[in-house]
Amino acid sequence: MKRLRSLFQRDNAASADVARERLMVMISQDRLQRNQPDFLPRLQKELIEVILRYTKSSQEDIQISYHSLPQQAQLELNVTWPSRS
Amino acid sequence: MAKVVVVTSGKGGVGKTTSCASIGTALALQGFRTVLIDFDVGLRNLDLVMGCERRVVYDLINVISGEAKLSQALIKDKRVDGLFMLPASQTRDKDALTQDGVEKVIEELKADFDYVICDSPAGIERGAMLAMYFADEAIVVSNPEVSSVRDSDRVIGLLDSKTRMAENGQSVPARLLVTRYDPERVELSEMMSVKDVAEILAIPVLGVIPESESVLKASNQGVPVVHDQQADAGIAYLDAVARFLGEDRPMRFITPERKGFLSRMFGGRR
Ligand SMILES: Nc1ncnc2c1ncn2[C@@H]1O[C@H](COP(=O)(O)OP(=O)(O)O)[C@@H](O)[C@H]1O
Ligand SMILES: [Mg+2]
Repeated sequence: MKRLRSLFQRDNAASADVARERLMVMISQDRLQRNQPDFLPRLQKELIEVILRYTKSSQEDIQISYHSLPQQAQLELNVTWPSRS
Repeated sequence: MAKVVVVTSGKGGVGKTTSCASIGTALALQGFRTVLIDFDVGLRNLDLVMGCERRVVYDLINVISGEAKLSQALIKDKRVDGLFMLPASQTRDKDALTQDGVEKVIEELKADFDYVICDSPAGIERGAMLAMYFADEAIVVSNPEVSSVRDSDRVIGLLDSKTRMAENGQSVPARLLVTRYDPERVELSEMMSVKDVAEILAIPVLGVIPESESVLKASNQGVPVVHDQQADAGIAYLDAVARFLGEDRPMRFITPERKGFLSRMFGGRR
């Protein structure tokens, strides 16, 4: 019975799974943001400006990630740019 | 020692006020002196769900601003002994709700009651923040639906950071009440299960309240649904309160009713 119904309701069949996946992504982002200091967006913006001033990186070459550890906070910065230029 | 419990959710319309009314009623039925505070300034409706709207004279803001004594503003429930409510104000002046004022009211109520239940407004504005600030415990109400669960997670974050307990380095113990649950849609994978929601939010489950016509009927009549012990939702609220008080009860109404031919033909569920 259930299977018969789900044959006709293909689109709906796994919508709960879709909801769950979307939620997990959203919530992990929310939780990261929640623990960030308020100045982080400004710091990130300024860091990017400075790096772009000195290197031939593009925005996508700069990765800044913030980690909140129990005892300390950590900012991880990864920049790549073409060498010999 | 009196306990302050906030019923909160972030999102509106998920069943906080309905839950407050039934949980408070059930606690009072168990013999605990219980008072419900409506923090939804401007949109008060706990008095409607409790069926005492015509007896509202003074409200929370009147008490905070010193226009009325607490004893004048408290409304005694007609049906259950030891159950009272403090209505919210209809005025729009939300600024009148101050932290000092709320603290005074709650401290005074704690001297006289076993449970002080705070019905939070939706959102994360002043009213919602004050409803949770003095809480010793939280009941997070959530529907099995994306935006409701996401908002619940935010509220859990606020309980962990923006409450008096959080400021003292503790966290407010929070438990999950999943409401408007439709087991048939869960079985068809159209709705997230209580297990899904609980895993995402990572807090223990206090109860599951099924989507039920009896809730609308109860709120039409101004009688908290927990009084209707023929109704699935009423029974589910009583179960939830038993768990709240430490009893170990299995969850009910989380799998679809296997309906017989006749009831499928002639009767829906209540
Ligand atoms: N278990 C339920 N089944 C059916 N309707 C419900 C249920 N719980 C709440 N409702 C309805 O949902 C609406 C919003 O409920 P309410 O308790 O006022 O939510 P909130 O206080 O979170 O805004 C009301 O019309 C109420 O009757
Ligand atoms: Mg409400």
